[in-house]
Order: sequence, then structure tokens, then C-alpha cells
Amino acid sequence: MNTDLCPEALELGEVARRKLGAAGGDELARRVEREPASRRGLIEPVLADLGAWDLDVRSGPEELEAAAALCRSAGYWALPYPVAERLCRPRGLGAAGMSVVAEVAPAAPVAQLDLPWMAVTLDGRRSRARARPGEEPVRRSAFVAALDLEPLDTGGVADAALGLVLPCWTLLGMLERALALTCAHVATREQFGQPLAAFQGVQFQLTDAEVERAGLEELAKYALWRLEADAARSLDDALALRLAAVEAAETVLRVAHQLHGALGFCDEATLSWVSRSSVPLRRLPFGLSATRDQLTRRLGRRGLAGLFGGE
Amino acid sequence: MDFDMGEKVAALRLELRRLVAEHVPPDFLGAFTDDPADLDVAQRFCGILAERGLLCMAWPEEWGGRNASPWEQTAVREEMWAHHEPRGAQYMGVNWVGPVIMRHGTPAQKALHLPAIARGEVIWCQGFSEPNAGSDLASLQTAARRDGDGWRVSGQKVWTSYATMAQWCFLLARTSTGERKQQGITVFLVPMSSPGIEVRPLATMIGPHHLNEVFFDEVWVTDADVLGAVGEGWRIVQEVLAFERVGIARYARCERLLQWAPVVLGDQWEALPGELRSRWARMLVHARRARLLAYRVVALQAQGQVRPGDAAAYRIAVTRLDQQSAAVLMDIVGLAELQGPDARRFRAAVEDHWRYSASATLASGSVEMQRVLLARTLLAKP
Repeated sequence: MNTDLCPEALELGEVARRKLGAAGGDELARRVEREPASRRGLIEPVLADLGAWDLDVRSGPEELEAAAALCRSAGYWALPYPVAERLCRPRGLGAAGMSVVAEVAPAAPVAQLDLPWMAVTLDGRRSRARARPGEEPVRRSAFVAALDLEPLDTGGVADAALGLVLPCWTLLGMLERALALTCAHVATREQFGQPLAAFQGVQFQLTDAEVERAGLEELAKYALWRLEADAARSLDDALALRLAAVEAAETVLRVAHQLHGALGFCDEATLSWVSRSSVPLRRLPFGLSATRDQLTRRLGRRGLAGLFGGE
Repeated sequence: MDFDMGEKVAALRLELRRLVAEHVPPDFLGAFTDDPADLDVAQRFCGILAERGLLCMAWPEEWGGRNASPWEQTAVREEMWAHHEPRGAQYMGVNWVGPVIMRHGTPAQKALHLPAIARGEVIWCQGFSEPNAGSDLASLQTAARRDGDGWRVSGQKVWTSYATMAQWCFLLARTSTGERKQQGITVFLVPMSSPGIEVRPLATMIGPHHLNEVFFDEVWVTDADVLGAVGEGWRIVQEVLAFERVGIARYARCERLLQWAPVVLGDQWEALPGELRSRWARMLVHARRARLLAYRVVALQAQGQVRPGDAAAYRIAVTRLDQQSAAVLMDIVGLAELQGPDARRFRAAVEDHWRYSASATLASGSVEMQRVLLARTLLAKP
């Protein structure tokens, strides 16, 4: 039993967080919103420098874990770029990235990228995907574009599992940032002559958020391990992770906003950017109810693999 | 990463399941019922585990153990709790009374108590909580007064599990008053047959034997009954809490019952409201989440590390799971025609789980204390 990411992955995650911070950190999201066309030019060189495009997530555990750590660091800075989706790109099909999509209204955060893209549904149907031009400003769309699909094949169940798991690592990084920002805020913001952190009502909200975050982290590692062991049979685990991730996002960000007060909505507060950036990850390919519905249908009477059956 | 516990643990798990299947009746719902036969089942089962070296696996070989790894201990916790704890009250003696006596006991105390616990022959109760000392345990007032070459103990304990069936009490009593309330507390190992001890059972929704009041009226104890040094009891209590870091593997019973539900319901399963089946699926995810949070604590323990916030997060998650899964299972049971022995067993197990889960967020320390502890670690300056 070893529940830690491999050392190389942990190291890449740390280096990525540092280098993305040095490349602008929180400012990257602000700048890209002002100049949407700049996002490839601003972000891709940093990812290239980190070796992101050399990672082959299907080649073995080390590269898959490294990719997960990289996604987590991208999430920490709310990086306005689909890192996880690009790392999921399938081999040999000429695609630069891949997104899991719903049966209805397929969409992905690929606006203004102009890269060859793939889409895959939960039942493994793969398509070439092209982003439709959108009219919404980036501030509201968060680069999400509707996709036109051109069917390709049906062998993508393992792709779907991978495509669900890696974005959850991005979301995990965002939630970790939101919680860290909130802890820092309540430690310094004073009301009634004492820091907010001194109030038990505040402390208990933080613990609600941390239990969700910690649980998500462990499920994310577990789902990664199941992908490593048998990607084609890990879709249950990927959906279980996604359900926990979407639930965790609701709790953590609700707590973070509540404890930040009105400041948390302001553009000057980083939380506002993290919160808005999380929306595509929480809503695509489907939100809380649809994720739960998909998982329930898949589990049927079989249940979820664990100590007592479900295989 | 590797979340597989390995072949040795898998074999142990199979052995435990075989022993349960052979020696624990299928209707068994724990040792603490109104039927004395259930306690007999537990006592016999402890003997069977002890014969095979499985009762005190975590103990050192010197005292009849196997130096079991933290992962083997985890499998034992999971299998026993999943199957309604057929060790009865023994888990307390095995998990922490024995280990604490190993660390602090005199040679005579070790010789008296450890072999009896290792053979599964003795039941202990825990004389901690009092009417005015619950989460604030250090406020306890039960007092031991010096009297010649011994002590006279007077006071009242409450919520004491298994007191009606226990032979020994691990008792906290105040022997002096210090500057801080944590000072002046002493541990006594007291025979429950001592004159002056009166046990009054409390009728409760969680079942018989779980909660009792214990009254001490000038109970005579000797220096030989003191564990560790006089006045050092608080330090020992902290060790007890450390041994109980992971505590009960509640997630294992939750998962077993959740997985059992569609098997028992058969074709009725699809007739349940979709929303209820969704809640069931969600609980399976939460059971896995709680299990993985427990493994995080165990993994650190295996490396000789402790992060108190991790254990607190686990305990918050697992006690919530216990109560939420019980509510979902009760809803499922309420909508099904459950006929035949297996279905009736399922209904009884769910009903038992629901009643007992009410205490999950209070037993072994309230969940609020875990939240305080977790908040402290979150807000600690790096």
C-alpha cells in the first residue's frame, strides 16, 4: 500500500506551481480575460518549459501521476487553459486534446485555441470536434464553446475514464487554493475585535470544506491508481471521483465565499477568479445531478468495487 | 501508488470471513442484546481468534501477539466491524487497555492483565465520562482519597459501555488538585466486583448494555491498582486517544449493508424511486471516501508519522457517513417487501445500524471536538 504520488510527480507539481507563479500566477487569468487571444501565447511556452507536451499519460504510472500533479498546480493558479484536456489527447489521431462530452449539447473549454480536438462520450464513442464560434464574452463563457462533432469510432471507454479523472485534479487544485485563501483571510480579517478565525462558527465551516477537500484528494489518487491498473474498467471509479469533486466544489466554494464576505465577489480578490474559473469543470461534461444519475445507472445492482463486491 | 494491501492481508481477510461464517450465527447483531447467547457467541469467538493468534495481532510476540502490520490491523478492524463486531467488548482490551498496560504497567499488572486479555477472557469498561465531564474530560470529579496504604474512591461515571458485564474498569479519578485541571488525575485498574460499586443500566435507543451509570461509594483500591504514576493519568489518557486514532472502521459496515441492499431486494430494486437509488450510489462513494481517509491515517502511522488533522477529518467523514447511510438504508427497507430469512436479517441489520448510528457523532469523543482539532491544524501558521 502506497497512497502517495511518486516522487517525480510530486516534484513536477511543485516546480509547476512555482514556474506558473513566476510566469504571472493569478495575473494570467486576469490578463487572458482582457486579451483572450493571448492565452496560447502566454501559457503554452510555460507548459512546454515544464515538459507538459512530452508527458504520455498512457505510457505508465509515473507519467500519469506527473500529469495529475501538473493539473493540480494549474488549478491552483486557476490557469485559463485546458491543461488536463490537452494531456488526455489520444495517440495517433492527430488531436491536440480531448474532452469528455455529454450526449446533448457537447461543449468544452476550447474557445480561441484553434487546435484539432477530440470528444468522447461515456460509452466510448469518439469524434473529431470543432469549436463553434461564440459570441459571449470570455468573462461569462470561461472559454467554453459548443462543439460540432464528426463521429470517428467507438473504442474510447478508457479515454472517457481518463478524461473524467484528470480535470478533477485541476478542480482539486482550485479548491485547495480557495481553502488556502479563505484560511488566510479569516486569520487576518477582524470583526468584534478579533480575527474571524477565532469564531467557532467560522472554524466549523472551514472543517466542512477541508473534509470535502481531503476526501476528494484521496478519491483522486485512488481513481488514478485504478486507471493505471485497468483503464477500460475504471469508469465507475472516474464517475465516483467526479461526483465527489462536484460535491466538494459546491461546499468548498460556498464556504470560501461566505467567509470572504462581499470581498470574495470583487475582482481584486483572487477567490472571485478561482470561483468563476471552476464553473466549466463543475458543469462539463455534466453537473451534479447528471453525474449522480450516470453513476447510479452504471452501478445498477452491482454497486461500487470495494471491500464487499461491486466488481 | 498502490492501494492494494497485498496478499498477506488478503489471506487474513479471507481467514477472518471464514471464521465468521463458521462461528458467528447469521442473525448475530453484536454481543450487546437482551439475549445472553449473543455474549456467549462473542466470548467463544474471541477464544477462537486467540487460539489462532488473531485476537491480539498487533501486540508484540512477548505478549502473545504477532507484531501485525498497520494494514493487517486495518483488515481486522474492517472485518470485525462489518460483521457486527463478534469480538464484543474485547476490542477495547485489545486495542488500547492492553497496549497501555504494556507501556505503564508494573510487572505484576502485566502478568495479571495481559494474558487474560490475550486469551479473550476478560471484559473491560472505561470509567471516563461523568455527569459534568464529557468532552471536557479533565473536569472529572470522581475522587480517590488516601486512606492508609490504599485509596477510597467515590464519585459517579456515566455513559459507561459494558459496565454490567465487565470484570475490570479502567478508571480515571482525581487524586489531587493542581494549577491546571489536567493535573492530579490518576488511572486505577479496579475490579468491578469491588464492594461499593453499583452499576445502573440506562435504557437507550441504541440497545442494552451500551450505556450505564457507575457509582463508586468509598471503593477500596490499593497502590497496586494504580497504573503509572499517581497524578500522571492525563498523559496516559492522551496515549489512549492516540491508540484510538483511527477507531472503529464504521465505513466497513456501511459498505457491507449498502452492497447487500440490491442483492436482497432483487427485482424490487429497480422499482425504488430513482432518487433513492441515487442516494444509495452517493453513499457508496462516501463509504469509499471514508475508507480512503482512514487509509491515509494508517499510511502515515505505518511510516511512524502522525497528523492529527487527518485523523479528525476521517472521523468527521466516517461518522457522517454512518448516519447518512443509515437514513438511506432505512428508506430502502421501508419501500421493500422483505421476506425470507436473508431479507429479514437485512432488515434487522439495517434497523440496528440506524439506531446505533445515532451515537456515531458522540461515541469516543464528540465530532465537535474533532472539528475543533481540525480547525486548529488548518489555521496553524505554516
